[in-house]
Amino acid sequence: MDKLLEVRGLSVSFRTSAGTVEAVRDVSFDLAPGEILAIVGESGCGKTALCRAVMGLLPKNAGVTAERVALDGTDLLSLRERDMTKLRGRLFSMVLQDPLTALDPTLTVGAQIAEAVLVHELDLKKEAVRRRVTELLDLVGIGEAEARSLLYPHQLSGGMRQRAVLAVALAGRPKLLLADEPTTSLDVTVQAQILDLLRDLQAKLGMATVLVSHDLAVVARAADRVAVMYAGKIVETGTAKEVFYDPRHPYTRALLRSLPSLARPGEPLYTIPGMPPTLIGPPKGDAFACRNENALAIDYERQPPMFRVSDTHFAATWTLDPRAPEIPDRQAPAVSSIPRHDHPRRAADPDGVLLDVQDLRHSFRLTRDTAVPAVDGVSFQVRRGEIFGLVGESGSGKSTVARCVMNILRPQGGRILYKGVDVWDPAAFRANRRMLRTERQLVFQDSASSLDPRMKVADIIAEPMAVSRVKPPRGTARAEAAFQLHYVGMDPSYLDKYPPELSGGMRQRVAIARALTMEPELLVADEPVASLDASIQAQILNLFKHLQAEHGFTFLFIAHDLSVVRYLCDRVGVLYRGKLAELAPTEELFSNPLHPYTRALLSAIPVPDPVRERARLPYAYDGRSFDRTGVFTEAAPGHFVLQSGKEDMA
Amino acid sequence: MRLLKKLLTFLLSLLILSAAVFWIARLAPGDPLASYYGERAERLTPEQRAQAEARLGLDRPIAAQYVRWLKNALRGDFGLSLKYKTGVLEVIRGRAANTLILGGTGFALIFSLALGLGLLCARFEDRLPDRILCRVGTVVSCVPEFWLSLLLILIFAVYLRLLPSSGAYDAAGGDRARHLILPLAVVVTGHLWYYAYMVRNMLLEQTRADYVLLARSVGLSRRRVLTGRCLRNILPAYLSLMAISVPHIMGGTYIVETVFSYPGIGTLSYESARYQDYDLLMAVCLLSGAVVILCSMAAQALSGRVDPRVRAASYMREEAGHGR
Repeated sequence: MDKLLEVRGLSVSFRTSAGTVEAVRDVSFDLAPGEILAIVGESGCGKTALCRAVMGLLPKNAGVTAERVALDGTDLLSLRERDMTKLRGRLFSMVLQDPLTALDPTLTVGAQIAEAVLVHELDLKKEAVRRRVTELLDLVGIGEAEARSLLYPHQLSGGMRQRAVLAVALAGRPKLLLADEPTTSLDVTVQAQILDLLRDLQAKLGMATVLVSHDLAVVARAADRVAVMYAGKIVETGTAKEVFYDPRHPYTRALLRSLPSLARPGEPLYTIPGMPPTLIGPPKGDAFACRNENALAIDYERQPPMFRVSDTHFAATWTLDPRAPEIPDRQAPAVSSIPRHDHPRRAADPDGVLLDVQDLRHSFRLTRDTAVPAVDGVSFQVRRGEIFGLVGESGSGKSTVARCVMNILRPQGGRILYKGVDVWDPAAFRANRRMLRTERQLVFQDSASSLDPRMKVADIIAEPMAVSRVKPPRGTARAEAAFQLHYVGMDPSYLDKYPPELSGGMRQRVAIARALTMEPELLVADEPVASLDASIQAQILNLFKHLQAEHGFTFLFIAHDLSVVRYLCDRVGVLYRGKLAELAPTEELFSNPLHPYTRALLSAIPVPDPVRERARLPYAYDGRSFDRTGVFTEAAPGHFVLQSGKEDMA
Repeated sequence: MRLLKKLLTFLLSLLILSAAVFWIARLAPGDPLASYYGERAERLTPEQRAQAEARLGLDRPIAAQYVRWLKNALRGDFGLSLKYKTGVLEVIRGRAANTLILGGTGFALIFSLALGLGLLCARFEDRLPDRILCRVGTVVSCVPEFWLSLLLILIFAVYLRLLPSSGAYDAAGGDRARHLILPLAVVVTGHLWYYAYMVRNMLLEQTRADYVLLARSVGLSRRRVLTGRCLRNILPAYLSLMAISVPHIMGGTYIVETVFSYPGIGTLSYESARYQDYDLLMAVCLLSGAVVILCSMAAQALSGRVDPRVRAASYMREEAGHGR
């Protein structure tokens, strides 16, 4: 095989105050010219460190050792920084996760592209540079390039920004592009466009790409070959089809099984027990062994070598050793369609309306005379005992709804009734203060910032009781905290830990336990799983499901990920630009979407299946045709849609 | 409308300041007549004293004195210096230029040197130039200004006889530059390090940003990113920091002026407080106060204006609120 990039035995470690973190451990792989290799893994598995090590852009506390890292025949490890600088951009460049922070906020997009062009072609004339900038913007699909090149990054939408970052990265005509989570911070409807653009560019420019992602569906759409990373090592590598249809490493299999879009109907989501190991002094055997139900004794003792499955497919697991015993569940998870959900549970009470949002309106002022309507006449009801989902892209107003419901943000119009009490009416609020304060609780997206890092878990969980002066029903505050912790599936040993010591999933559990302390009826969860890895996300989703089914909690669940919503929610409202476009029971919405925006949103759900995902043609929705004046009408029993004469309704 | 509000805040602050200074000055021990009559004040009979106090309006209650002062001040009459026996404004006018030269040059030097040194340190982060500069800076900024002044006078004026030890010009009114060197050296060394260190840290914080990573991954060198991109990005914060620094540096010049007997506002404020020269003290304090308030207002306005992001900040915050 002709090699563009050759990596042999690469290890990266970081010196920290807690010890040496072995982020990448003895990784080897090759990349052919014009190939897209995806590196998949959860956060902290070392995929970003691997990329930066190849670029030579690691922070100072990093140490790199390798037998060989060669790009296009040049040994990168022997180069001095000055020579690396000359190669960067021309031979290889990088695209980062968040396009807003990746662009310099004080320079126009055009200026940043021009600078990247001029670094390599110093004697280029001004006119030629401008032509090249326009060319690049055209290449990445930014129309009206001349005018757009004069805009600042914050004046562009998320998708446009990521295109602009690509234009910067491509300015030196690199042979290799390292794309580190390029679609993670983008809306679903934009994600597929950027991935297709990457494929398109690869075809046009013959450029090889390393695509780093935690999202298997993203990988399925774009990758030729896939490498799965776990705890700093590549545990499996093969073509996309081999890895998705015939995964061999137990971790790869578990990862695929834990995706909500691949859940088997009627079953709770598969979750990987335990947590990834710490990389300060990693385990000596297979790092995944302690989370693997079928681990062999040797898994704990010796590092498995890469076993050959086919010429292109390799996996590091002792189960592939000819001496290994046969393990019953060897077949791949059924890559089926997205599940219907028919879980046993207490029936939602169709008449008991717990939360009634009526014609909610709120707009944010941009400048003295312009305002953006964040929420524009939204009405819906949440019934007792149901999980009501609110989906929409960023900026659609879903968080604003949550804040208004929780008495955090005063709406400029409309009413919010909780058990018939108008929560924004001062007199009614005062009369029902205790009920309103304790029965509604909020869970935030980012548990790292919503929990005080200097408070112990026990104190965090017990704090709501102290604030509301409630006597702990189980004697002491500590006993109460232990009980709630048990409730969300954590043992009392966590009581004396601080949030930074916990993993993301554990922190989110603590946040949920804190919300449960007041024995609420309504839990408002604002993107509670959006920042979690797939295996952890499954644990939290199962927890929500359990809380509803067994304990009858009511949820207002806010999300952007439709496969999560489909798995979890009973009814779903689709928000678009501050208006409800459609509201229906989950299955009805997914099988019979009426509003063109809902159809676009549904068509944008990525499927972790390379063949189907590539065949999938996302249906684009043209926001300009959105009719704000439409009437919200009941098209079928319980199925509401924003009716409009102008739009093409199904 | 906003401008009017700012102006009102400014005037109100000055009013409160003037009342406080007026009251506190009169609580301080000392004899205002001593500065008016000099040594003769001690030989005055009680009747003559009472007469003199009545003539200068010092016998009335403090509140009444203040109201009278305020009325006159609003008409532009800030009273008479007891010591110099001329109008307060005239006395100040003579000295303000000297302070402006010392403070202004000092500020300009600190502004540019801090930027340069900060950039140098950031460029060689944790390497020899950075380490040396950081150590030296820490030690130097610990040295008290008046002590350093005396030391410099001792070395350069007394032993080496290279530079004058005091004043702003020689008998003929010339030779300003040589008189400036020592006071300027003290003012600059006293403040420079703090600001250079701030620049260094602001720059280093920027180098951890994603845009630096992208710029470097397409082939820009670290130095180029640092001087081209990072410097641009810290500029709004730096400008507003330097606006706040004006009062600090001004305070420094006041001390230095006093030690070097440099005829500026600093020595004047010291003398007026020392000799109970009430009207002069009021005017000097109001002048300094106005500078302080204006600078902090400028800092506020600057941090909002220069940055194209802040203009869109409300929008971005909104977006972040919805973000994932």
